[in-house]
Amino acid sequence: MADILKISGLTAGYGPLRVLHEIDFRVGEGERVGLVGLNGHGKTTLFRAISSLVGWQSGSILLNGAEVGGSRSTGPGRRTPAIVRAGLAMTPQGDAIFPGLSVAQHLDCGAYTPKAWKDRKARRDMVFDIFPPLRKLEHALVGRLSGGERRMVSVGRALMVDARLYLIDEPSLGLAPKISASVIEALFALPQDGRAMVIAEQNVALLSGRVDRMVGMHAGRIRGDVGHVSLH
Amino acid sequence: MDISVTFINGLNLAAIYGLMAIGISLLWSSVGMINMAHGATFAASGYAAWLAADATKALVLAAFGKGVLTTSVMAGITLTAGAGFGALFGAVIYLLAFLPIHDKPNFPVRSLIVTLAINLATVQGLLWYFGPKQKNLPKIFGTGKLEVLGISARYDQIGAILATTVILGLVLFWLRVSRKGLEIRAMMQNPEGAVLSGISVRWTALPVTMLTGALAGLAAILLSQTIFVSPTSGTMPLIKGLTIALLGGLGSVPGAVAGAIIIGFLEAIVGAIPFLGQRYVLFATFVFIITVLIIRPRGIGGLLDEARK
Repeated sequence: MADILKISGLTAGYGPLRVLHEIDFRVGEGERVGLVGLNGHGKTTLFRAISSLVGWQSGSILLNGAEVGGSRSTGPGRRTPAIVRAGLAMTPQGDAIFPGLSVAQHLDCGAYTPKAWKDRKARRDMVFDIFPPLRKLEHALVGRLSGGERRMVSVGRALMVDARLYLIDEPSLGLAPKISASVIEALFALPQDGRAMVIAEQNVALLSGRVDRMVGMHAGRIRGDVGHVSLH
Repeated sequence: MDISVTFINGLNLAAIYGLMAIGISLLWSSVGMINMAHGATFAASGYAAWLAADATKALVLAAFGKGVLTTSVMAGITLTAGAGFGALFGAVIYLLAFLPIHDKPNFPVRSLIVTLAINLATVQGLLWYFGPKQKNLPKIFGTGKLEVLGISARYDQIGAILATTVILGLVLFWLRVSRKGLEIRAMMQNPEGAVLSGISVRWTALPVTMLTGALAGLAAILLSQTIFVSPTSGTMPLIKGLTIALLGGLGSVPGAVAGAIIIGFLEAIVGAIPFLGQRYVLFATFVFIITVLIIRPRGIGGLLDEARK
């Protein structure tokens, strides 16, 4: 099984603060990995380091075999577009939405490759099939949507191209249980051939038994494979 | 006091300030850069247009003779030279004040300082090369007056108002329908979401700096129909553009338009009141802007936004 993501010795932080300590982490092709841990233990920072959005970082990050990590102390976000184009799709915490765009325009933003841009209409339809409530909101401003609908738009934006690695940060955060369950449902319904997905989540019950592996994070370190956790 | 004259003056000022303010506002919200060199772009574009007009005047006159045709050909040359040089100057600002420092800490302050330096250097350069003497651009709308609905307005005023409306309409339309426009708007609304959508700041910033530069160049041509081109002619439009962009809420295009209209009319009205007059125009403008910013620190733009953040 080929590694889609292979991280070794990743240390990252913001200013004087070191958040991640020498992290080694790998995700294989076709895998769904749950990343669990309490608030403030580095789940989001790990995702942001992979997408080069933290203040500084060092260590190797291989995405699809290509080095996207390395040492960096300035310019969060400068390398992000290139990393995204190398096959990363990430929905960050807080959704990072464009409030003044319509749902359709917002989704189009995700279709950055020429091919995806050309058949963006078909891809929008595919996203609407995954999240049916969005279909009738196609021309509504994203800034006027509810939290659940925004999450769907944010995840949908990441689905507009064929990425290799999906990083989904706290899909249930701030949503009503019923809605978060439907978002998670949609994520698990996605085909996994040639792709991999990492879901950071605090609500372990939502992932339990449905991901291939669960990995715990504590105090900026990976705390081993938790394996399958069942709360029932 | 003639109300119709005040009305036309107000619209005329609003048009030119609007072009400047939208340029500053767009650049700030999409790239995060306060462009203090906007005034230099304004002045340098005016000189570029003057040079182009001066070099081609005799040729055009010989080819077409005196008449409407010559005026329109000269108008084309002047506008193309002004807007083209403005865009070019914008690209220079991009190369000097954006590209080398955009990923360093404190980019907004650094770029403010660099663009201020570009502004000062350009103004001094123009002063050194062309001298302090004012230059006269060709009257691209011809000279004369027109009565519309009982309001009498000069050609240059009507031309400036119409041209600005058309140009701003085109720019806003382009932002709305084109793919680059979509990327620019995404960058304006959420830079992090934009980079996560594979939109590169560097490749978004270049068209924005060039577009705002071209807008400043057009503003220079339009304002030079009323006043002259001089090395320091960009200073006032820069200050007006900045304060109006602030009044409108930096980054809000509708806010900048509304701010330009309010300030344009305010200036025209204050200038027309007999016991206040022109010398109180700046004073009144700043009192108004400061009052608004005390009441609404984020400017009037938020009132016009359709969606919450």
